Amino acid sequence: MISVAELVKEHRIPANFFDYYAYVKGDLEIGLLENRRGDRLLAVPFTLITSLYAGLTKETGQASRLVLFNCGKWWGKNFYIRFTESLEEYYSQTLAEMDMITFVQSLKACWLTHGWGKFEFDPQYQAQGFILIKTYNSPYVREIPDNKLPTGYLEAGVLTSFFTKLTGRELLATQTTCESLGADYNTYIVGLPERLESVESLLFEGLTHDTILQKLLK
Amino acid sequence: MIPKIQELINQAQDRYLATDELGLMESYVSSLPDRLKLYKFIRDREIDLLQAVADQVPAEIPNIAEADLEMGIKNLILVLRYCSMAMLLNDENFLKERLLNWLEGIMSMRDTRRLNETLYKLLNQGLRQSLNPNQLALIQPLITSAQVTLIY
Repeated sequence: MISVAELVKEHRIPANFFDYYAYVKGDLEIGLLENRRGDRLLAVPFTLITSLYAGLTKETGQASRLVLFNCGKWWGKNFYIRFTESLEEYYSQTLAEMDMITFVQSLKACWLTHGWGKFEFDPQYQAQGFILIKTYNSPYVREIPDNKLPTGYLEAGVLTSFFTKLTGRELLATQTTCESLGADYNTYIVGLPERLESVESLLFEGLTHDTILQKLLK
Repeated sequence: MIPKIQELINQAQDRYLATDELGLMESYVSSLPDRLKLYKFIRDREIDLLQAVADQVPAEIPNIAEADLEMGIKNLILVLRYCSMAMLLNDENFLKERLLNWLEGIMSMRDTRRLNETLYKLLNQGLRQSLNPNQLALIQPLITSAQVTLIY
């Protein structure tokens, strides 16, 4: 027997933690934006990202890719902690008790509400050991003249450590399509590093995402 | 209605509102007493209305798992709360943007069609019994919108 009185006893039935109107708050008089937990939010100017990328390339050349990927990994580690803490608090559940759908929907909503673009989670190859992530309108990819490889290093980094933390296994996110190269969205293949190590050279040879994925699945 | 009124309010620096624009505001304001009354009614009867739904489900779906029913009722509580607020604001988009977009994603991956069809059928029956035709006309389109988005 279900008791509705019992279900509404705490008044609050959690829905979407990242609901834009409830999530973004501000004390504009002192110039602060906050999220609904009171953590600081700030709007990063797009020109700042462009400038950081330009400065890094100038100072470190080819190594800037690795620097950005590692920055992404640091970000992902902290992002994972905040993200899961927020959800555990909001749903009064531990991560282990939470169902996967709520978790994934929250991750998508989190991406949208922060203005990081649209996030899609594609688990159809999960049984073969890969998860596909697609992002649309990513602020982190950029066009580089004469470049033929994907440039979402920060996003690849954040996804790498996020899914490593989530699964407790060392995983890697490798990008195979990129908006900066004219694709409609960015695709990241998440899986074990040793199974993904050939991806970069395959991309370099000019192979498409679909062809690479088929090779990986063999 | 509220976003439309918000738009009108933003016109203040440019011009005075035209008669038909004021008419829009007037008609909303004059509908407010009925909206408030209905809102309070649903608020005070929330538990009764939904308990009646929950109690009737096992007769319709005998093998229903308690966890599924609880999840279905929880979502229905949310839908009724957001529909009531959308009715008060006369703003269907409030319901869509704030709740349905979210619930649609959550529910699309679960096989809940039969349960939800039953839940909405029972909720609609309950509302028809407790509300007069004018009240039903205020809230029913919103419930239907939720039903259509979440089930079909």
